[in-house]
Amino acid sequence: MSAYKRMSSRLASWLPRLVVAPSLLIVVITVYLFILWTGLISVTSSKFVPIYDFVGLEQYVRLWATPRWHTAVANLFIFSALFLALSTALGLLLAILLDQNIRAEGALRAIYLYPMALSFIVTGTAWKWILNPGLGIQKVVNDLGWETFRFDWITDPQMAIYTVVIAGVWQSSGFAMAIFLAGLRGVDNSVIKAAQIEGASLPLIYRQIIIPMLRPAMLSVIVLLSYIAIKSFDLVLALTNAGPGAATELPSTFMFAATFRRNQMGVGAASAVMMLMTVAAIIVPYLYSELRERNNG
Amino acid sequence: MSKFFPALIAATMLVPVGARAEGSIEVLHHWVSQSEVDALNVIRKDLETKGFQWKDSAVGGASGANAQQALRARLTAGNPPGAMQFLGWEGVQWAEQGVVRDLDDLAAAGGWREALAPQLLPFVTSGDAFIAAPINMHRQNWVWANKKLFDDAGVSVPKNWAELIDAGKKLKEKGVVPIAMGDEPWQIGIIFDALLSDINGPEFYQKAAIDLNPETLASPEMAKVFDTLREVRGLVDANFVGRDWAVATGMVINGEAAMQFMGDWAKGEFLAKGLKPNQDFYCFATPGQVTAFQYIIDSFGMFTVKDENLQKAQAALAETIMDPKVQKGFNLIKGSIPARIDVSVDEFDDCAKLGYSERTAAIEKGSMQGAMTHGFAAKPEFAAVFSDVAAQFFVGNMSSEDAVKMLVEGIDNAR
Repeated sequence: MSAYKRMSSRLASWLPRLVVAPSLLIVVITVYLFILWTGLISVTSSKFVPIYDFVGLEQYVRLWATPRWHTAVANLFIFSALFLALSTALGLLLAILLDQNIRAEGALRAIYLYPMALSFIVTGTAWKWILNPGLGIQKVVNDLGWETFRFDWITDPQMAIYTVVIAGVWQSSGFAMAIFLAGLRGVDNSVIKAAQIEGASLPLIYRQIIIPMLRPAMLSVIVLLSYIAIKSFDLVLALTNAGPGAATELPSTFMFAATFRRNQMGVGAASAVMMLMTVAAIIVPYLYSELRERNNG
Repeated sequence: MSKFFPALIAATMLVPVGARAEGSIEVLHHWVSQSEVDALNVIRKDLETKGFQWKDSAVGGASGANAQQALRARLTAGNPPGAMQFLGWEGVQWAEQGVVRDLDDLAAAGGWREALAPQLLPFVTSGDAFIAAPINMHRQNWVWANKKLFDDAGVSVPKNWAELIDAGKKLKEKGVVPIAMGDEPWQIGIIFDALLSDINGPEFYQKAAIDLNPETLASPEMAKVFDTLREVRGLVDANFVGRDWAVATGMVINGEAAMQFMGDWAKGEFLAKGLKPNQDFYCFATPGQVTAFQYIIDSFGMFTVKDENLQKAQAALAETIMDPKVQKGFNLIKGSIPARIDVSVDEFDDCAKLGYSERTAAIEKGSMQGAMTHGFAAKPEFAAVFSDVAAQFFVGNMSSEDAVKMLVEGIDNAR
């Protein structure tokens, strides 16, 4: 082997690492370093600007004594659970229906997927008007003659969080549909044929064979929708602006308000750390079990 | 890459050169609407006659929070703008960080202390030294009313809150929305601030909203404030969620609603439609035993810089802002009144004149106080608690006693 060839083979083995290094460095600095910094700020008395002292867990105590934070945490669980369940179920249902060799499938697919192309700001603003009792659905139904019809969830602090779920599901179920549809196309036809020969009914085939085979697609959908649920900050801002009366506050809107509007940088940092730990507690075991299974299988 | 890099290098080189050019000063502010820009042009032109260029750096949105974000980044990078618009405690808090220029020599030479109401000083001084120059003064506790609707319902300008609520009930019977507003916490806060002073007097406002006295916060008088706020809620229509303040003003203008509680920036909407004060619409202060004047000021502070030319430009800008002629020209366009108390308002509209004369009276009676909702009373971490409680109370079914309890606990938690 000539010297030139040795060099080039060494370069070939180093090149991928060289190419990845800058982006890795940027990620380390902008993500992990700032996670550490946020953790550091959360144990200081920082208010308007960072102060580097140590006050222990005082900001966490203050955080958990704030009713607004309790609302935010409860809302995150209500929103995430309903958003994930409904988007996944609706997406799967739409995908199965679209998979029946129907006409104009391409056009329908585009229509269902289209909401995903909108930003959450647009979705939120549009749904703000649709859900307003004096402008949207309620007014239309009232004008059609059903005078006693009420659909004013967006004005009701108890129900307002569900309006966020509606808007979120409207936007994201098409996206779940697209992934499931791709998964359905990957299912081997001969398996279905074999099941049909054995006399299995279509619902049974879906329940027992096809949906279990969609497991990788399900994993992608759940992980991606979880990210969307956690970053739904802009949807809430546009739809309800965390109102009425902070009823639709989420941890992300709480963190922003505390850090940048309320002079409570320490409390904001503590809430960010709580968010990180919550996400990690859910996602890490799930990824771990999925990845381990894949390695074994 | 090859196209991008030279452009990037050029951009990074251009910015400091532009900002540090001789005889110019960069001003970071959040005024981007047409009337605000027109008003700024009064300052800009006067500065030009002194031989300095105004270099505009506007960051709009989020009531100035975005501009504050930009400032944080600039200060961290060691490249602060020459001057910055301050709202509420911002200027004082930056001064505590030691980055704001002391303007006391200019203030002494220009007689600023005598030209301003003493109630203003906590927001433009740090220690004893001036750190900012106030250009204007808005009043938060105005009521804007449709005169025709008032006449049709046989309602006159109320003298106290009981009358106001009775008037609202009469208007409601006539089928109009008595009070136009949105559910945004700051819109609710405007009414809450007014009630604190109107129902229980300016001393109560001082103890509750500024001193955060625990006994005052927990007192039965505080529960009375919430009781009245509950009555106001009964006069608001069901569709108030998500309504912008300017939309609410439009409802008063076109006769859908009778009244709006809003600062005097709402006046421009009436004047733009060619409506005249006292002929087409009423402007009056929220009714209290002692008429309150809850102020909001915009001031400009200067950052500590080494460049001597920039220092000169900063001094020129501060003098321009405190010039009575400039304050008059600026406020005629902006819709506020001069921050200086010695500028004649003869050329202003009737609402501004009323505000000016009520300010003079309020300064003497001690009822000129900072508007909490806009950051001119308690520090933001405490004002936010008031805002949270008032907003939650307003949109839900909480009892006044629970609201008081929540307020006391919230303030203690934020201390």
